Amino acid sequence: MKLSRIALLLAAAAVLEFFVGGSPHRGVLPVDWFLLATATVARSGDFVRAVLTGTAAGFMEDGISQRLLGMNAFAKAAIGYALTLVAVRVVFGGALAVGGALAAASLVNEALVALLSALLLQAPIVILSRDAVWRAAATGLMGAALEAAWGFSWAEWWKRRRLRRLR
Amino acid sequence: MRPQNPLAEIAAVNPRRGGAVLASVLVACVLILSAQAPGRGGRGTVLQSWILTASAPVTGSIASISRGFWGAIDSTGELLTARSENGRLRRDLEVRERELFRLRAEVRQLGAERRLAAEGSALPGIVGAVPILLAEHRSGAQSVLIGAGSAQGVAPDSPLAVPAGLVGRVVTVGRGVSRAQLLLDASAAAGARIARTGELGVVRGDGRGALTLNNIATTSSVARGDLVESAGIDGIYPRGIPIGQVDSVSRGNKLFLEIRVSPAADFARLTDLLLLAPAPAAPEGLEVGRGAVR
Repeated sequence: MKLSRIALLLAAAAVLEFFVGGSPHRGVLPVDWFLLATATVARSGDFVRAVLTGTAAGFMEDGISQRLLGMNAFAKAAIGYALTLVAVRVVFGGALAVGGALAAASLVNEALVALLSALLLQAPIVILSRDAVWRAAATGLMGAALEAAWGFSWAEWWKRRRLRRLR
Repeated sequence: MRPQNPLAEIAAVNPRRGGAVLASVLVACVLILSAQAPGRGGRGTVLQSWILTASAPVTGSIASISRGFWGAIDSTGELLTARSENGRLRRDLEVRERELFRLRAEVRQLGAERRLAAEGSALPGIVGAVPILLAEHRSGAQSVLIGAGSAQGVAPDSPLAVPAGLVGRVVTVGRGVSRAQLLLDASAAAGARIARTGELGVVRGDGRGALTLNNIATTSSVARGDLVESAGIDGIYPRGIPIGQVDSVSRGNKLFLEIRVSPAADFARLTDLLLLAPAPAAPEGLEVGRGAVR
């Protein structure tokens, strides 16, 4: 994946994070957009870029939400590597698999950040909270929807639709 | 889930390079984290303050667009409701009904504004109202970005509240944007007082959306429904702001009760907050210093 596209992805993730997170309806679909950006790069199979994208996305997230810079960067770099490994090693795919992998990745992200918070800030470990599970579900759903939309042959559908209308 | 292009396939065949990069990144993260780990009572780092300042224009604009967008959606929803309501009476009094709807909306808005002003005036040392740009709930950390910074008079540890009750405090200040820790955060705490009995304790967030009141002796007569308010003994929160109501009381260890408190403020739907002036600590009473309020 080209660097310009990665930069665009990260910018889009940041915009969406603020767009949804700043609204009063933020709790409806609390998608981890930075994780989706990392997963999109990981999907292309490039380990280095996936790790670096995860790091950049994590730093951006830390800048806006965490007391320490680097906790989400640590988690997302590791997740970027793991997701690339899954992308190049696992044969089966599809929207369900992608959604499941992303939901699991979101929970792992939470767990890593909670662990780092406990180690560095002596904060209580909060992993499987309702917020975390809902965020994982929302991220998985959004990832599955994007995967399904990506794999759908829109050109053919449009052609068929036009033919149907002409008849 | 397969690689999309030949270059990616080449990279995928040999993940060692990626592993080396991952190791370097993780080590770098650990070093950065170690460098930032604050001592007790530490505030936001300078680095974070710079980042907040630099991102202020962008975050501000996105938040404005977001508010406009969601406002438009809400307005559309309200409009649809109004239309369906008016549709039933359109045949008879269409013009009058529209006028009535407009007047009702104005009256409702006016009433809400008056109520906010009246309830807000009970809070001590209001500096001003600040909008929430982003709310993040992750791994026990519950924080918000607010659209005001040092330029608007925000200082570290400034308390934040809504008319219903206490919300949290500012931890990192940028020029136009600041980050605040909510009371629900797993590492947040505030000096608290049971309004009926006058006993002092420490309210802590549990990171899951509830609060606990600690350090209340088992001899206390605290009961479900008792109001818990800020005690003004921690040097951060002013005295007398509602925090919540006692939800349940159970026997904890030998000395103290386990008290769960349901927050007075509706944290799920916060949009604007009132910024208060930091309060100096009261000389007597329980010591809940900055060390406790991390």
